[in-house]
Amino acid sequence: MWDDADMRALRLALWPAGFVLGVFSLALSRGDPAFSFAGGSLGGAIALLGAGWALLACALLFWGRRPVNAFGPILASAACAWFLAEWDNPGAGSAAVFTIGLVLFAASTPLVGWAMLAYPTGSVARWSGRAAVAIALGGAVIVLGLVPTLVYDPAAQGCAQCPANLLLIADDPGLYDDVNRLGIRLGLVWALVLIAVAGWGLARSSPARRRVVVPVVLAGSAHLAFVAATFAASLDRGFVGSGALERRLWLGQAAALVALALAVGWGLVQARRTRAAVARIVVELAEPAAAGSLRDALARTLDDPRLELAYPVGEGRYVDASGHQVNLAVSGGRSATPLVRDGRPVAVLVHRAGLLDTPALLEEVTSTAHLALENERLQAEARAQLEDLRASRARIVEAADEERRRLERDLHDGAQQRLVGLSLALRLLRGRVDPRTELVARLDEADTELQRAVTELRELAHGIHPAALSDEGLAVALEALVERASTPLRVGDMPRERFPPSVETAAYILVAETAKAGAVSVGACRHDGVLVVEAVAETAPEGLVELDDRFGALDGTLLVEGRPDGGVRIRAEIPCG
Amino acid sequence: MRVVVADDSMLVREGLARLLADAGVDVVGTAGDASELVRRVELTRPDVAIVDIKMPPTHTDEGIAAAQEIREAHPKVGVLVLSQYLESRYAMRLLTEAPERVGYLLKDRVSDIAVLADALRRIDEGECVIDPTIVSRLVNRPREPGPLDELTARERDVIGLMAEGRSNQAISQTLFVSPKTVEANVRQIFRKLGLEQSPDDHRRVLAVLAALRGDAGSGAGPA
Repeated sequence: MWDDADMRALRLALWPAGFVLGVFSLALSRGDPAFSFAGGSLGGAIALLGAGWALLACALLFWGRRPVNAFGPILASAACAWFLAEWDNPGAGSAAVFTIGLVLFAASTPLVGWAMLAYPTGSVARWSGRAAVAIALGGAVIVLGLVPTLVYDPAAQGCAQCPANLLLIADDPGLYDDVNRLGIRLGLVWALVLIAVAGWGLARSSPARRRVVVPVVLAGSAHLAFVAATFAASLDRGFVGSGALERRLWLGQAAALVALALAVGWGLVQARRTRAAVARIVVELAEPAAAGSLRDALARTLDDPRLELAYPVGEGRYVDASGHQVNLAVSGGRSATPLVRDGRPVAVLVHRAGLLDTPALLEEVTSTAHLALENERLQAEARAQLEDLRASRARIVEAADEERRRLERDLHDGAQQRLVGLSLALRLLRGRVDPRTELVARLDEADTELQRAVTELRELAHGIHPAALSDEGLAVALEALVERASTPLRVGDMPRERFPPSVETAAYILVAETAKAGAVSVGACRHDGVLVVEAVAETAPEGLVELDDRFGALDGTLLVEGRPDGGVRIRAEIPCG
Repeated sequence: MRVVVADDSMLVREGLARLLADAGVDVVGTAGDASELVRRVELTRPDVAIVDIKMPPTHTDEGIAAAQEIREAHPKVGVLVLSQYLESRYAMRLLTEAPERVGYLLKDRVSDIAVLADALRRIDEGECVIDPTIVSRLVNRPREPGPLDELTARERDVIGLMAEGRSNQAISQTLFVSPKTVEANVRQIFRKLGLEQSPDDHRRVLAVLAALRGDAGSGAGPA
C-alpha cells in the first residue's frame, strides 16, 4: 500500500506529467488533423488543452486539499482520459500509443459521470449510481473500446499510415461494425442514465447539500448531454464521425469540462471561506467571551440561526454554554451531530438537517474551533456544576422549610389541642373541688400558666412558619403580618396568585425580617416569570447574609441600597417559573 | 340552651361538652368532622353549633365552610367558630360568608366558661361575636398616621366594643355611660372614619373591622 508521502509525490508528479500529456496529445492530434477535432485548428487545440488542463488542475488541487477523498483521483483520471481520446490518431506513429487510444478513446465520459456522482464525498451514495457508473465504464472501455479493437486491423481497413494494432486477434469488419453500433446505442443510454441519476440525487438531497453540489452536477450533466448528443448523431452511421456537427458538440464537451473545473474550484474556495470564518471564531474567542458567543459565531458561519451547541457533562447529560441542562431530543428538520475529537465527543451541534452532511465541513468545524470548543466546554461544565450546587442549596432550603411547615402543623394540631384539652380538664376539676380550699387557688394558678403556654405555643408555631402562607399564599400572609408586626407595615399591590412554596417563603421572610427592624412599605408584582418584591424600609433587615443565601439558592437576587432620607430601598427578584 | 359541639380532638370535644353541661347548657350532640356536624344539626336543631375551624380532611378552614352551610340551611341555628388563628381574616370571612348569629372565638378562651356562655347567649340573641383579643390587636397595632388617630380615647373604647359585636345597649353598660352618649360616640366614629351608618349590626361589625384592618383605601403600592 502507498503511504501518504508516496501519494503526495504522485500528486506532485502529476502536475508536470499532465502538462506533458497535454502537449504530447496535442502533437498526436496534429499527426492527421482530418481525424481530430483538436488538431484541425487553433480553437480545437485551445479547447483540448484548456479543458484537460483546467480539469486536471482542479482535480489535483482538490486531491491535495482532501487526500483521502477519492474524488480527486477520479477527476484526475477523467482529465487524463480526455487527452487519451487523441491517441487513436492515424498519425500517432507509435503502435502502443495508437492501441491505447483505440481502447480508451471514450473512457473520459464515464469517469466524468463517476466524479460528478461522487462529489464531494468521494463515494457514490446509492447503488443505482454505482451501477450506472459501472455500466458506463463497461460500455465505454469494453464495448466501445476493447472489443472493436480486437477485430480491427487498420491496414486491412485501408489505413496505410496507421500504426499496428497490438491487440488485434483477427480482422472482422462485420463484427467491428456491429459492436460499434451497439456501443453507441449503449453509450446514448448510459450517458442519459448518469444525468438522470445525478438529477434524482440532487432532488432528494437537503438544501444545504444541494447548494454545494449543484454547480458540479450541472456542469457534469452538460458534458454528458453533449456526449449523448454526439452518440445520437452517430446512431445511423455506426461510428463517431468528425463532421461539422460533431465538432461543435465536441467543443461543447470541452466547454462543459471547463465549467466542471470551475465548479470544483468554486467549491474549494467556499470550503476555504468556511474554514477562514471558523478560524476567525477562534481568533474572536481568544479573548474572554460571554457564554454562548461561540454558538452565535457558529450559527453565523454555518448560516443556521437556530443552531444549538451542547456540551456533554457526563452521565448522558448535556448543558448549554451557560450550564443549563439541554434536551437533545431533536425534532422536525433538525438533527444532532457530535463533534468528536480524539475519539471523544467535545460538543454536539443541533442544526438544520443536512447542514453538516459534508464530512469535510464537520471536520473543519471540529479541527479549527477545537480549542474554543474545549474552552467553552470546560466553562459550561463549571457552570453546570454551579447550577447543580445552586439546585442542591435550593433543595436544602426547601427541605428545611418543609420541615418547619410540618413542625408548625404538629404544634397546632397536636400540642396545642392537647393543652386546650388539658385546660378544659382543669376547669372541670375546679368545678368539682370545694371552693373554700386552697386547691382552687392552685388550680387557677395552673390554669393561668397553661393559658400562657397556649399563647406562647401559638406564637412559637407562628414564628416557625405562618400557616396563612402555606394555606392562602403570600398576599394573605402579609396582610396577616400587618396585624402582628411590631412596627407599621403597609402592604400595597400584591399578586393574589400562588407561587412555589420556596418563593413565597423567601418573599415572606424578607418582609417579616425587614418589618422587625422598622416601618416598611412593600409591594410585589409578577413580571416575565419573576416575582419582584420592592420595599421601602426604615432600616435594612438583620441577617442579610442568610436572606442573600436564601435568594441565591432560588437563583434570585436581593438588592439593598441606601436612600437619601436614611432609609433603604430593597428590591428582590425571584424566578417563579 | 341547646348546643352541638364539633371538634376532631376527642379530648377537647368531650371536655367542652362536660364543661358546658356543668354550666347548665344542654349539649344535644357532638361531632368529629364537618359532615357529621351538619347531620347532627339537621337532627337536633340546636340553638348554637360550636365548631372547630380546623377539621378533617385538610385541617385548614373546614369550620368556616360548615358555618356557612349551617347558616344557610338553618337560619335559626347560630354558629360559634373556635380557632387558633389570631388573625382577623378568618373572622372577616366568617362574617362575610355567614351573616348574623355567628361568633369567632380563640380556642384557648373556651376553658373560661363565663366567656363561652356569654358568647353563646349573644349569638342566640342574634348578635355577632368577635374575640376581644383579635379586636384589641387590631385597635392597637402600629400603623401609619390616618383617620383612626383622630378618635378620642372614649371613641377608641367604643369602636373596640363595636368590633367585638356588642350592641349600643351593651356598650353603654360596659362603659357605664348612657345609651345616648354611646350613640353620639358611634356617630362621631363613623363620621371621622368616613363610614356609612348601617342599621344592620353585623354589617356594622364588618365595616368597623375593615376600618381597623386598614382595608379601606389601603391600595398604596411601594413608595
